[in-house]
Amino acid sequence: MLFYLFGAAAVAASLMVIGQRNPMYSVLFLIASFAALAGLYVLLDAPFVAVIQIIIYAGAIMVLFLFVVMLLNAPQEDISRVRVMVAPSTRRIGALLVVVLLAELAWALATAGEREVWVSAEGLPEGESSVRALGLTLFRDYAFAFEVTSVLILVAMLGAVVLAKREL
Amino acid sequence: MIPTFIAQIVLLLFVFHMLLIAAAAMVYAERKVAAMIQQRLGPYLVGPRGLMQPFADVIKLMFKEQLRPLGADRFLFMLAPVLSAVTAFAAFAVVPFGAETTLFGLLEEPMRLQVADINVGVLVIFAIASMGVYGIVLAGWSSNSKYSLLGALRSSSQMISYELSYGLALASVLLVGGSLSLTEIVDQQAGTWWGFLPRWLVVLQPLGFLIYMIAGIAETNRAPFDFPEAEQELVAGYHTEYSSMSFAMFFLAEYINMVTVSAVAVNLFLGGWHGPFLPEAFGWIWFLIKVSVLLFVYIWIRWTLPRYRYDQLMAFGWKVLLPLSVLNLIVTAAGVIYFAV
Amino acid sequence: MPPLTHYLALSAMLFAIGTMGVFLRRNVITILLSIEIMLNAVNLSFVAFGRYLGTIDGQIIVFFVITVAAAEAAVGLALVIALFRHRETLNPDAFTSLRW
Repeated sequence: MLFYLFGAAAVAASLMVIGQRNPMYSVLFLIASFAALAGLYVLLDAPFVAVIQIIIYAGAIMVLFLFVVMLLNAPQEDISRVRVMVAPSTRRIGALLVVVLLAELAWALATAGEREVWVSAEGLPEGESSVRALGLTLFRDYAFAFEVTSVLILVAMLGAVVLAKREL
Repeated sequence: MIPTFIAQIVLLLFVFHMLLIAAAAMVYAERKVAAMIQQRLGPYLVGPRGLMQPFADVIKLMFKEQLRPLGADRFLFMLAPVLSAVTAFAAFAVVPFGAETTLFGLLEEPMRLQVADINVGVLVIFAIASMGVYGIVLAGWSSNSKYSLLGALRSSSQMISYELSYGLALASVLLVGGSLSLTEIVDQQAGTWWGFLPRWLVVLQPLGFLIYMIAGIAETNRAPFDFPEAEQELVAGYHTEYSSMSFAMFFLAEYINMVTVSAVAVNLFLGGWHGPFLPEAFGWIWFLIKVSVLLFVYIWIRWTLPRYRYDQLMAFGWKVLLPLSVLNLIVTAAGVIYFAV
Repeated sequence: MPPLTHYLALSAMLFAIGTMGVFLRRNVITILLSIEIMLNAVNLSFVAFGRYLGTIDGQIIVFFVITVAAAEAAVGLALVIALFRHRETLNPDAFTSLRW
């Protein structure tokens, strides 16, 4: 039951994100959507991911977005400045794809639950021990990927400084 | 005999009101201590020794007109103070403040003095605290005033910068404590080393405690890091345009955040409700004393140190505090492995 | 627990919304936000699959996705600032000096 509540909230908030002209409101609705997703992660027995989602996504990345929105003070989106022409054939292909995807989604939902058995929650590590298990897997099996990630962050940091700084 | 769930609800209401009273007491204490430091009398007219001053302040604020600047974003302008207050209250929900108790046989089964016992409690506090910045940022942006906007911009960059050191200080104390649950960490700190030195984690983590407190002061926007509301430069910063009860909510949030930071520091570093002389059932008295001492230090620092310059604040956060906390984390990790604590 | 397909359907819907945002919006910041929605949709399916199979690896991948998202946001926003400085607009269709 909670799943449908959080899911509906996430979808509604995401729709509001792209339905807003004001980027400030978009950012705020995205935060609401993240909160709903964090609730879903708790339902999926992943409390650590839920908390990380709030701390890093909502608490750090989105503050960065807000910061830029405030800094640029970029007001409403202008729609009429540049017209984008879409060829009719492109539209037809797009419409076809929409129909195909919707049909697929409907089919998947219609046949759902026939052969799906979740692994029971008993054998899984929960709460704090799930954090421990996460740490062990991350630093043993994924140690190389973890180290590469640090290089990625370093490069991103350098790139951000070089791009945004007026003169070096 | 009272069933547990009723006791839980009573506890919830009790904690809520205690936080309100703590904020009122802090307002009074701040003015009195400031007066003492500056050799003044401080409030003394309302009630005995001016004790009713905070209530007079609240009543005055209630009857003020609620103003909204022209061109302000109506919805966000109203939302921001509520968001600030809600996150401040919510963060305290996972803070334990006493041992398990039956209230002298009043309850059917022993209950923890904690609103919500979550086994990743420390992370939850950190998550909720990181949401607190939105109240300030939204207030600053929606006010449509340059002072508010500057305050909000300063606040967001300051809080992101100091959150790193704050998190790393928490991480190193969690390494020593070996748990993410505040209750478990507190229970490890019972007793003494060699009979006289309390087993508080501050003994193992002196640098971590220092970093935590400095970053905590920056996170709660208190002097000497109160740039979001630096009155000499920004009038009142992010809440320049606020009046009446919405201003009161920002005020309330600031003081409750201080209480929460101090309470978490007491739980993680200063042994929580453990202390000599008192039986376990009265541990909350020790907790109150320790929190009060830390809150006094907060006020003391505010009225002793002048405000930093903004570039000094950022340089200090990134070039001093962050390397120190990383170093502390590495040394702690090595120590934990070496001694296999 | 609801069947896995429902989680995946939710993830697909979020991903579609994100894609829609990238195509429809004419504001660089909103486009970046839409990309975040898409990343989150993927995260949801990773965690759901991980729980379904009873392994922790799904959650590990989410860490990496979040890291990539952070790096992407940092570089993307730096680009936005640099672009805004040149043209005083956030409309991606205005940056066409290299198109012919």
